[in-house]
This record gives sequence, C-alpha cells and structure tokens, in this order.
Amino acid sequence: MTPPTPSAAAPLEVTDETGKTPAPSSTAKGSESRSPGRLAWTRFKRDRTGVVSAYIVIFFFTIAVCAPLIAKLYGKNPYEQYGQETDGLLNDFAFPVKPNGGIDGNFWFGIEPQLGRDVFTFLLYGIRTSLMIATAATLLTTVVGVVIGITAGYLGGKTDYFVGRVIDILLSFPSTLFFIAFMPVVYALFVPFNEDVPTWLRATCLILVLSAFGWASIARLLRGQVLGLREREFVEAAKVTGASSRRIVFKELLPNLWTPILIQSTLMLPAYVTAEAGLAFLGVGIQDPTPDWGVMIQRGAGFYTEDITFMIFPGVSMIIFVLAFNLLGDSVRDALDPKSKR
Amino acid sequence: MSFSRRNFLIATGVAAGATTVLSACSSGNGGGSGSNKAPSVDKAKAAEILVGTKADSTGAAPEVPGAVKGGTIYTLDQIDWDHLDPAQLYSSYEGACSVLFLRGLTGYKVDSKGGTTLVGDLATDAGTATDGGKTWAFTLKDNVKWEDGADVTIEDVRHTFERLFASFVTQGPRYPQGWLVGGDKYKGPYGGKHLDSIEISGKTITFKLKEAHADFNFMLAMRGFSIVPKKHDTKEKYDKRPFSCAPYKIESRSIGKGATLVRNEHWVAETDPLRNAYPDKFVFQFGFQPLASTDRYIADKGNDQYTLSLLNEVAPERIQKVLTNATFKKRVLTQVDTTCYYFAINTKRITDVKVRQALNFAWPSKQLQQIRGGALSTATATTIISPLTPGHKDFDLYEKKSKPMGDPEKAKALLKEAGKSGQRVVVAMQQSDNAVKQAVAIKTALTKAGFTPVVKQVDKTSFYSQIGQLDNEYDMFAAGWGPDWPAGYAVIQPCFDSSQIADGGVNWPQLKDASVDKAIAAATVEPDAKKAATMWGDIDEQIMRTAAVVPDYNPIRNYFHGSKVGGVIYDSGNTCIALGKVYAAKA
Repeated sequence: MTPPTPSAAAPLEVTDETGKTPAPSSTAKGSESRSPGRLAWTRFKRDRTGVVSAYIVIFFFTIAVCAPLIAKLYGKNPYEQYGQETDGLLNDFAFPVKPNGGIDGNFWFGIEPQLGRDVFTFLLYGIRTSLMIATAATLLTTVVGVVIGITAGYLGGKTDYFVGRVIDILLSFPSTLFFIAFMPVVYALFVPFNEDVPTWLRATCLILVLSAFGWASIARLLRGQVLGLREREFVEAAKVTGASSRRIVFKELLPNLWTPILIQSTLMLPAYVTAEAGLAFLGVGIQDPTPDWGVMIQRGAGFYTEDITFMIFPGVSMIIFVLAFNLLGDSVRDALDPKSKR
Repeated sequence: MSFSRRNFLIATGVAAGATTVLSACSSGNGGGSGSNKAPSVDKAKAAEILVGTKADSTGAAPEVPGAVKGGTIYTLDQIDWDHLDPAQLYSSYEGACSVLFLRGLTGYKVDSKGGTTLVGDLATDAGTATDGGKTWAFTLKDNVKWEDGADVTIEDVRHTFERLFASFVTQGPRYPQGWLVGGDKYKGPYGGKHLDSIEISGKTITFKLKEAHADFNFMLAMRGFSIVPKKHDTKEKYDKRPFSCAPYKIESRSIGKGATLVRNEHWVAETDPLRNAYPDKFVFQFGFQPLASTDRYIADKGNDQYTLSLLNEVAPERIQKVLTNATFKKRVLTQVDTTCYYFAINTKRITDVKVRQALNFAWPSKQLQQIRGGALSTATATTIISPLTPGHKDFDLYEKKSKPMGDPEKAKALLKEAGKSGQRVVVAMQQSDNAVKQAVAIKTALTKAGFTPVVKQVDKTSFYSQIGQLDNEYDMFAAGWGPDWPAGYAVIQPCFDSSQIADGGVNWPQLKDASVDKAIAAATVEPDAKKAATMWGDIDEQIMRTAAVVPDYNPIRNYFHGSKVGGVIYDSGNTCIALGKVYAAKA
C-alpha cells in the first residue's frame, strides 16, 4: 500500500544534466547531435534487463487489453462454474480430479476448487481488472502530484507551508487501515442496503483512495525540484522577459521534471498493483464474482497446502509482473539519468 | 423463543462457513474420494428415541465394553461455557458438558451402539401422563444426594421450575412458561408464592398444562431443566457455580481458560441410568481453534491422547488428511446433526407461491454443498425436519434428488406463469469467506432461472436480530434450526406457527397460513407419538408446498479425539457426545 519512496539523490542529478542542456529544439541541427530523449533511448536499448522487462510488461498489458478476445478464442469465460456443471472435473471434496489442479487440454491452468471456474480466463480478467485500476490510479496520482507539487514549489510562501503540512499528514496516515475502516461506510452511504455494491463503485473508490494517499510523495519530490529550479538562470530569464507563471511552469519547469515524474510513476504502478491485490486479499477491494488478481491469490492461499497449482498461477504471474515493472523502472531511471548508475 | 440456541447456531455457522478448505493434492484426487463415503442423511435412520420403562430408569448405567475406571479426560474447545445455571443454559455444547454435574427429571440413556432411550434420571421413570397429556406426574428417586450429602427433595424440583419464571432468567428454553397453567401471570418463587399448576405430594410432582403435550417428558430432558437446590439457589450468581447432584462437581473454574471437575462422592451409581462416570477427573480446556486442536490430535502426544472435543470439529484445512488416513479416521466420530439449515423466504415480501416455488426449483443445492466442502461435511436437505428427527417424512417436492444442480427451466416457466420474470430477490447471508463464494453460485443459479438476485453479506453478530425484524427488507435469508428435543413439534411450532411471528422471533419466513396453524394445533395435542410423528411429517410437506423456505443442508459433524479416549458415543437426544460414557484407556 505504501507508494514507493522517492530517492532524492537521483532526480537531483537529472536536473543537473537537463539543466545544462538548452531547449531540445535548438540542438536538433546536425545529424550528430542527438536530443537527450534519443540519448536515453539508445542507453535504454543497450540495457538487456530493461528491454526484457519492457517486453514482459508489454505482454501483460497486451493480454489484459485483449482478455475478452483471448477468452473468446479459448472458448471459456471467467464466470461459468465449469467444474460443477460438468461431471468428472471435481471430486467429492470439490477438488479438481486431475493432477496439478486439473490442468488439461480444456483447462490450461486448471480449475478452481469448490467453485469450479476456469483459472486461465479468470486470471486474464483478473490481470485486466488489476491493471486497469492500477493504471488509472497511477495516472491520477501523477497528475495530482505534479500539479500540487509544482504549484507549491513555485508559489512558495504560505501555499507551500500549507501543502507541506497536508503532505506530512498524508504520509503519516495508515492508508490500509483507513481503507478497511472507511470503505464499508462509503458503500453504505452510496448504496441502498439491499442493493449490491456495483463493481464500478468499488473500482472508483479504490482508484480515488489509492490516489488520495499516493500523490503526497510525488508532490513532495517535485516541490523540492522546483525549489531548486526556480532560482535558476533560465527561469529568471523567462521571468525577466515577462513570461506568465503558466508559461514558466509548463514550458520552463515541467520539461525539466519529466525524468523524476516518469521514474516515479513507473515505480508507482507495480506498487499499486500489489496494493490493490492486498486490499482485495483483505476483502475490502474488488470482490467475487468480479475476477481480480488479489481475489485469486486470496482464494489460492486457502488451498495452498493441498492444491498449490491454484495459487501458483496468479502468484507467480504477479511476481513476474511486479518484478519486471520494477526492473523497467530502474532501467528507465538509468537511461534518463546515467550518472546515478553505480 | 430460543435465543441461546440461535447463538449456538451462529457459532456452528462459523464452523460451517469456515469449511473453505477441503483437500486435494497435486497427484490427482480421482481415487481419493471413493474410500471416503460420506454418511448419507437419507439413509440415516431417524433416531427414534423410545420412552424407557421404570426398569430402564434404574441404575447403574449399562457398562461400555472395554471401559476401565480412573484416569483423567481432557477437552479442547474454542469457547468457555456461557451459562451454567440450568435456567439459562441452552446451547448443546454447554448441555453436553453439564451432563457431568447436572441432573434433570428425565434424560437420554445412550447404549454403546448409539441407541437412545428417554428414561427417568432423577425421576423413577419417564413420567406418567393423564388427562390426555394435560397432566404429567413424576416421582423422585430415593437416595439421590447433593454434593454436600443432603437429599434431593421434591421441593427442590418444584423450586427449579418455579424459578424459571424469575425475571433474571432470560436465556434458557421457555416452553414451561407458555405451557403451564397460570404461567403467564406467575413471577417466580422469590416473592414467596408458588405456582398452582405445579403440585407436590410425598415424592411426586404434578404439572398441569394448558393443553395436551405428549412430549412433555422429552421437553424436560433438555439440559436446561436440570434440578437446582432451593437451599443453595443464589439466583443470578448460580450461573457461575451450580450445585451438583451428578457424578462430578466443579472443583475449580477459570473463566475463558478452563475448568476442573472431580468426583462427587455422594453420588450413587445405582440411581443413575445415564452416567457411567469412569474417569476420576475431567479437565476442560478452552480457547483452542479447530486447526490447533486438530493438529494436536494428529500429533497425539502426552495428555492429548486422553483428550476429546465437544464443539471443535476436524478443521476444514485438515479434513482430507484426517479422513483419508485409516488410523486417524478410527478416532473420528462422524455424526449427522439434526439441525436443518435453510434459506427462509420472507413470505410478506415474496407473496406469490409460484415465485417461492421457482426459487426452490432454481436453488443450486449441489453447488453450495461443493463449496462448503462436499458431501463429507454437509448433506443436501429436501425437508425441514431432519431425517434424524422423528416425524421426518421423505419427500422431495422440488426434485433436488434428480436435479441437485437446480432446474432453471422449470423455475423460469413458473416465474413466467406468475408474471414475475426478472423478479428481484435480495438474499442475506452471514458474512464469511465461504458465504462470499456461495453467493457466486446463488447468483449464477438464480440469474439463470430468470431472477434478478442481489446477495448481501450481513455482519454475523447482528444477523439474526436483523432477519428477526418483521419489517426487514430482505427477501431470503440463511437461517438454521435444530430441534430442542427429537420431535416434529420442536422443529415446526417455533418456526412456522403464526403465533410465533414477532420482532425477534424465529418464524423467519413470517408464515401466516391458517391451514398450517390448524395442523400444528392438531399435531401438538395428538397423544399418540407415532400418529403425531406422521402428522408432523405431513405438516412439513404442507409447509414445503407453500415454499416458505428453501431447505439447504444438514450438517455432518466430524469430532476428532485422542487415541486413549474410549467410549466416545453420540447422544442423539442432546445432539452431542455423551460425556457420561467416556473413559480413559489404560496406557
């Protein structure tokens, strides 16, 4: 649940580098001179780990987006209780009859004990749900964090003080506990007690709450960056030439901040995936029958002594995804900021 | 009104709800199931409890083959006893333990094969009914003594029943209060007044009832009607430390942790047909979850060899491990319980019989059984009266046996006929991990049958009070009821008689059916037990025709115990292990 703590050292150096580089457009003259973006891209391509991780991450996003298509080709859906409708799939204990969690030609990843759903499509849709929520939360967090962070840093004074204290409070807030305690209240407020809590409301609440607690760290980091930048000559120059605050923020400051923003958000997304799964595991996030990564892991945890297969697929796929995404985040940082590389 | 009974059902609901994990292993489970035939409820014989003769009622209790005297028996259970004052005692777990230190007028005599007979415990026989069952007389045995050596007197017996009317008695069974003549006005014996409808003369006590009750003596066998000494009645405080006239007395007790029972040397074995009282000592240990107790039985070390559980069953996480291992399985007492868990349909909200019948046809019985762990922990029910309760009639109005997965086509057709296609149904369940899974199956099945289901998970602690509200806004709710004594009356009357409709009552479907009421009244006063049983079976079917409930399952209990415990026999009268028969085998 805790968003990644920004490492203060790395982004500061980035600003050094980008600070030295004049506006990108002016350098793109000869074929030999390359933009910092191109340089970073070249550096990134040389990083084997980064490239492999990127492919893995792209793979996960692709299957998440294409989940309905894949499920259609595969001929199953994550809601049908195949094991209960077809004889011979589950035994008297309601466990898969076949070895390894019931894996066979029809059920590639086996079937769920008790409920008898297809693990493969359930996992696909689960990844889809989790990634959608995590991506949305990351985007929202980044936007809010960037806006508030830059504003606080640029305006300074009372605004900065006020925002600083809000960030202090948010960072010290036990967000998971808050979520567990607060969500039932929210649902009770918005949903009549004899109605199901709609999945969109659960998802929206998750995204909002994750973002509400997540923006503080990124805002604090950017505030520090802006504090350093706004005294720089090029900002002073812009001010002298009479540029508006808006222009200074968007044209002068923001281009110099893309690196830390990018690094932060790539590290934030996998953290959100695990946070979302954690909440679903605790029963306050997405709930059955909506497929979800965390729900799957929670189900699997109940069976792991006897039917480990059911836990392996969601568990291992999540480890691979989060690991790949974190490595990707590292590579992105290395590419954008070569000095931080040890 | 049986509050504690309900609390008990909540507790067992937890256990059933926790049945998430049965097992399988990665080597495949195809063969594993064949050797583990679950006990079938259908084929289980109704535990027909006969009324014993005077000879049956005299001691000593028949010996358990192979039993030896002496030693200590330990127990491992989740919770402490909530109440020990008989007037407040309702749950079958407390009842099971209280057999050792409380005695009533009547009781259940268990033979070593598990057969059960109703006999006189403190009374010389199981009672004499006159006036067509409106007057009941019991005669006290000679030579029965309290733990201080004083005789149990007939005044004590009268006092026991009179104090049931005292204002501090809020928890126990309340049948006598409603049945005895003048019971509605009587305020208890502490003001110095006696209840006129209880008469004593010599060693005989006579009860006068408002209407005939052929099973009055069965009702008295509830542990809640054990005798309290007038001299030592400390009113509210009696709940902490009851006075014993049974083979054991409470030596020490530490709330929430445990209790020790030692022999009551004034007990005379020849007066007691129920208890063998082999061990010298019982040590009760509380605060152990099923998984912990199961693991200790599996390890079977030290004192745990002499240990058994009365409430804790084999933990769901270990059930396959235990039941597929021959040596462990020998130490498991598997018993079908008489409780029936059903989904009550709120007949005030779903008024159309056809819609209620459609719900019955659509119900995913098999799916739910699978989710709860398969046929080894629950058996699908088709009737309200359990197959083990006298009065059970074998019928299957909604084709659960031929179509255990439900019949969505038929349900759809019925709904259409009623013009209620797409009917919204709000189902309330006690929140648990397993209930969330069950909700998935219920939703799928009801949607297939043309309903628009909404399944709500309701907080466990307030569940029964919520569904007990007359104006609750749920259409269906998961409830359960176990009879207080093995008779159709104890199943049907409290839950389906329209006189029982009240806020906080247990007529959950709020069934108000004049013909059902009439049939209940007729069966209640029927003096012939056999005839009455048939009548109750017919009423069961009659209620099922109105589809007031969707019967769900009868639980199957799996009690595990240590290797040196002998005489673990089920008492189908009190629906628990008969502690009076247990012995500690020699090392």
